[in-house]
Amino acid sequence: MKKQNIRFLIVEDDEMIRLIHKDFLKDLFPDAEIFEAENGAQGICHYFESHPNIILLDMMMPIMGGEAFLDILEEGHHCNILKDKPKIIVVTAIKDVKELMSIGKRFAVEAVISKPLVQNQLKSLLEDWIS
Amino acid sequence: MINFPPHKSDDFMTAPIFETEKALNRVHNKKDLLERVIDIFVKSLMERKDVIERELNNENWETLATMAHSIKGSSWTIGAQRLGNIAYKMEKAADQKDLAFFRQLFEIFKTCVQQFIEFDKKL
Repeated sequence: MKKQNIRFLIVEDDEMIRLIHKDFLKDLFPDAEIFEAENGAQGICHYFESHPNIILLDMMMPIMGGEAFLDILEEGHHCNILKDKPKIIVVTAIKDVKELMSIGKRFAVEAVISKPLVQNQLKSLLEDWIS
Repeated sequence: MINFPPHKSDDFMTAPIFETEKALNRVHNKKDLLERVIDIFVKSLMERKDVIERELNNENWETLATMAHSIKGSSWTIGAQRLGNIAYKMEKAADQKDLAFFRQLFEIFKTCVQQFIEFDKKL
């Protein structure tokens, strides 16, 4: 993935956490486009409009959570409606280990990081993918 | 890659109200950003407190768990450890639909919110 072509999508209901993620990503990749969604439903709309290649996804959100967001994306790929497979990083405050393990096996999920987010972990992950 | 969470949430009353250094690290020492972040945090805290107050009477456990979960995540992110730890307990109580325990925790939570606001004024 080239730095110049990066499009991030942040799907997170908490405005404060979105602001922190956005500031962090802007510092790391000043040329990247960053889109924001407050829930899974908005996230799906942004996904179709903006074709992000990396998604930071919260799981527990009002209206539509991360689980349903992943279901729709997976179904879209299964039916060949969606062609590109994004890299999804789940950032969640879920603490149940079994639940975290099962999220880690979901479609397109490359990493599951626990809140509060350790930004160095996210940074090293992104730097592995982006040249 | 799965990063497992730490478990330090039992000591909710002895945990610090606010860890300034942790919060500053989170925003890479940008003090103006920290001010914005805390403003948003307090605003959402008050909104979520009102939702809990209302939904507690309806025993709407799904919403109560979601609210507590969101408070936990944002509080730990910003270094408001005490609020995060009490919200963690509230989320568990909501999952178990334990009304009496949830009510007790919510009273403590409201005190913690006041403590945080007082602390924030001194910053």
